[in-house]
Amino acid sequence: MSTTEMPATGLPSSALDLGRAVLPPLIGSPVERIDALEKVSGRATYAADTRLPRMLYGAVLRSPHAHARVVSVDTSRAKRLPGVHAVITGADTARVKWGAFRPDLYPLALDRVRYIGDEVAAVAARDLETARRACELIEVVYEPLPAVLSLDEALAEGAPLVHDDAEGNVAHEFSFDRGGADAWFERSDVVVEGVWETARQWHASIETIGCTAEWAGDRVSMWVNTQTPFLARQRYATALGLPLRAVRVVQTEIGGGFGGKSGDDNTSVICAILARRTGRPVQLVNTREDEFLASRPRIPMRYRVRLGFTASGLVTAKDIEVIADNGAYTGKAQAVLGAATVRHDALFNYRAVRAHSRLVYTNLVPTGAFRGFGNPSADWAVGQAWDLAAGKLGIEVPDLFLLNAVESGSVSPHNHKITSCELKQCITKAAEAIDWAGKRANPTPNRGLAMGVSVHVSGRRSFGDYDGSSAIVRLTEDGRATVIVGEGDIGTGARTTLAQIAAAELGLAVADVSVSRPDTDLTTHALGALASRVTYVAGNAVKRAAEQACGRLLEAAARQLGRPASQLWVADGVVHGPAGPDGGDPVSSPVGTVVRAELYRPDGEPVIGIGSFDNPSEFPDQSRYGNESGAYNFAAEAAEVEVDPATGALTVTEFAAVVDCGTVLNPPLAEGQVEGGIAQGLGMAVTERFSWRDGGPRRPNFGDYKLPTAGIMPRKLHIGFADSYEPTGPFGAKGVGEISLDPVPSIIASAVADAVGVRVHELPITAEKVFWGMSAQGAPPDTADPTAQDARSSAPEPDAAPAPRDPASAPHGSASAPDAGRGPDSRTQEAR
Amino acid sequence: MSVPLRFRLNHEDVEVHVQDPGAPLLDVLRHDLGLTGTKSGCEIGYCGACTVVVDGRAVPSCLQMAGLVEGRDVQTVEGLGGPEGLDPVQRAFVDKAGFQCGFCTPGHIMALRALLDEDPAPDEERLRETVDGNYCRCTGYVKILDSARAAVASGAANPDPGGAGAREEER
Repeated sequence: MSTTEMPATGLPSSALDLGRAVLPPLIGSPVERIDALEKVSGRATYAADTRLPRMLYGAVLRSPHAHARVVSVDTSRAKRLPGVHAVITGADTARVKWGAFRPDLYPLALDRVRYIGDEVAAVAARDLETARRACELIEVVYEPLPAVLSLDEALAEGAPLVHDDAEGNVAHEFSFDRGGADAWFERSDVVVEGVWETARQWHASIETIGCTAEWAGDRVSMWVNTQTPFLARQRYATALGLPLRAVRVVQTEIGGGFGGKSGDDNTSVICAILARRTGRPVQLVNTREDEFLASRPRIPMRYRVRLGFTASGLVTAKDIEVIADNGAYTGKAQAVLGAATVRHDALFNYRAVRAHSRLVYTNLVPTGAFRGFGNPSADWAVGQAWDLAAGKLGIEVPDLFLLNAVESGSVSPHNHKITSCELKQCITKAAEAIDWAGKRANPTPNRGLAMGVSVHVSGRRSFGDYDGSSAIVRLTEDGRATVIVGEGDIGTGARTTLAQIAAAELGLAVADVSVSRPDTDLTTHALGALASRVTYVAGNAVKRAAEQACGRLLEAAARQLGRPASQLWVADGVVHGPAGPDGGDPVSSPVGTVVRAELYRPDGEPVIGIGSFDNPSEFPDQSRYGNESGAYNFAAEAAEVEVDPATGALTVTEFAAVVDCGTVLNPPLAEGQVEGGIAQGLGMAVTERFSWRDGGPRRPNFGDYKLPTAGIMPRKLHIGFADSYEPTGPFGAKGVGEISLDPVPSIIASAVADAVGVRVHELPITAEKVFWGMSAQGAPPDTADPTAQDARSSAPEPDAAPAPRDPASAPHGSASAPDAGRGPDSRTQEAR
Repeated sequence: MSVPLRFRLNHEDVEVHVQDPGAPLLDVLRHDLGLTGTKSGCEIGYCGACTVVVDGRAVPSCLQMAGLVEGRDVQTVEGLGGPEGLDPVQRAFVDKAGFQCGFCTPGHIMALRALLDEDPAPDEERLRETVDGNYCRCTGYVKILDSARAAVASGAANPDPGGAGAREEER
């Protein structure tokens, strides 16, 4: 099927007609970030840098119990502490439940707490120290209730309910069978199967979530480091029991988002209540402990997958069962589970796909959106099954991928319509970059090689039947342009990219284009920085607004210069025109002069353009059928991993990533997205976890939770981009923000399996899991040190948990029964 | 009750009255002196976002007791560069796209500034060691290391280590 056979997507033909040859020089050039100077000089104003006159500081008291009835809250001692201006509890709130999809969260607990970290009370005081001390003086009497601290406990017969209205603790459930999976499995020659699990991964933005709120009459302004100011505003209004008009959200500088600042937690809501109560501005910023206890980390998923193949390696069917740990409240978890269930199916030519997915409440930290949005969990589990299949089929992984990869024009079983697709190019280039053939021909002991692939969206229709963006471009009388757009920049450089798009369209220098920051009172409506959408969706809107502004500029210039608009053009900030028909000289006038002359005349007018773009996608139905995005981005990544046979510790010695994001608008920024995603993927794969106690992180700070540092990054790192062009994208561009993270955990696991024959089924892939796996397979480490010997002598069975771990994890252990040895055949022993 | 605290801050003598000399220097910088370029990331000395330079050494200001900088020399990101342009380390971060969200950037810059003041030509391993001491959640460190190398290559000796030039400028 070719692209031209696809049904119309609703996109105006003008956008589809863009040719690859017309790219202006600014597109693809390494333009310096427009916010560079403020960021390297410390002048950028992040959430905690907001300063308002008479501002107070807030702190939150959280539940120490995973599940308890709140018998009483006595705030009298806290209120008496000098410097305290207000102490609030659930009784001081609107007592309204809120949430993105399934309202189940109160701003402050009313009569029940449901996880360690649940907000119980809050204080506003003259300084942070006083606010924190006052929290310690609040006396809460709890009556502990039986808690469900794992998926198994939550799903057990007669389990205590986290929410009384969620029978069986199931918050959300859906299933589908498209194409008849059973029939295709019957026709399959090779079937592989397994269960893989992910753990909670925290965004751990170095800047925590924070808000400063100030009331004027019945209206509150909130300066928040939210990725999604307009969506957050709607939720905050609900949570505060206010009409939408009573809430204004202004985006501060954002110190990293990754999904964690997309408005599902209570911090900003509590801040607004404290500000109203005190009649003064209040700033409430999460401590790192707050962030680990009560933000919305990645959803742990238990992912059972079964894949069928023909003997020649063509994939037939995929059958999955996904159980996702919602934690105590829902947020965006049900949408994440949707992506985790269907997105992967836009990657290979499956004949049939069947799924049953359940989102399950537990008395644990609520989970939600994290870069990749479910995709990393799917790529981890399904990627492992593909790796097993390659071994069983005796086909090298890249070849198996090439045999089954989607192409431009493919349509997935869920109606994902693939426009541009260079997945095969990515696979080939990644294999070349890492010298797959050479490494296979000359294997190094204890080193393994693996590849993974992924697909991601460029925006997703999630919040109603709209995934659009709009922008206003105003040309100024000093010859500059201002782009007014509500999308924002969470650190990726999105504002720079939008400035670049506008500048390219207008014929201005990027330095002469400024881009607004989101303000729900002032800028255009926007869904914000999520789903890798800003470059694609907002980029198109800005481009159209700039086109219109440029057209109006040329019309004005035509009147002023006496040449038809069609003969005029803008370059380097100057409108140029040809010689006149009567032999007059070529004409020119600086943009600012034209704009000023257009204003300063009777009935003068500004030179403004408006542009809008709605993602040419479909709002998926309850079973997740629907073309969720207008453009899909792809990646292939490969790693070489060395495992220390004495300890099980792994080192990623080489890594290659090749991404199809359409046109690369700004290479250093795109590379930065890929590099950063790989680092977070390595964190998810290897380093990031807590030890748990009674349902909460034992020590909720960085000492216990290890972010990747510079040392974890591979010394040999190849970053590349496919030669690609997306016809619906701005200058051919697609999203790039998330995809590089998605396949990393699976790649590392496969490489470890390739290196030492141990396949870990539960993230993260710690040295101890690999070590116990090696020990259990009876391949004694040839360089074992005494410590390792001691450890082995007390080794638990390989199916037992060797260390404290995420309590929501499955009981089946850290490592599967390991493979007996290396090689394609042995690598598949655990299947089925 | 407040206590006077005198020290040298970004080439100037400052006196600030603090409620609690045991408070972290980070809080005094951010709240008492309004210098918000130094960031708070964990309050336990782990993430490096609050790194400042005290008497030539990079320290996490969240663990540095304010009272103990009495009479000492403190440099924050606000003290780098000047009217004529950026410090070479800052310049390198701009040129090499060594930041994304920018929140950890002042800490990384100050850590590298301290290193280069001590050793203007550190080898690759020392650069890596220094960068390894500060968290960044956005970049994967690739372009931070590029920036560090570029700073070394540009001969990133502090143009004004003693601050004499800066004071001249102000007069």
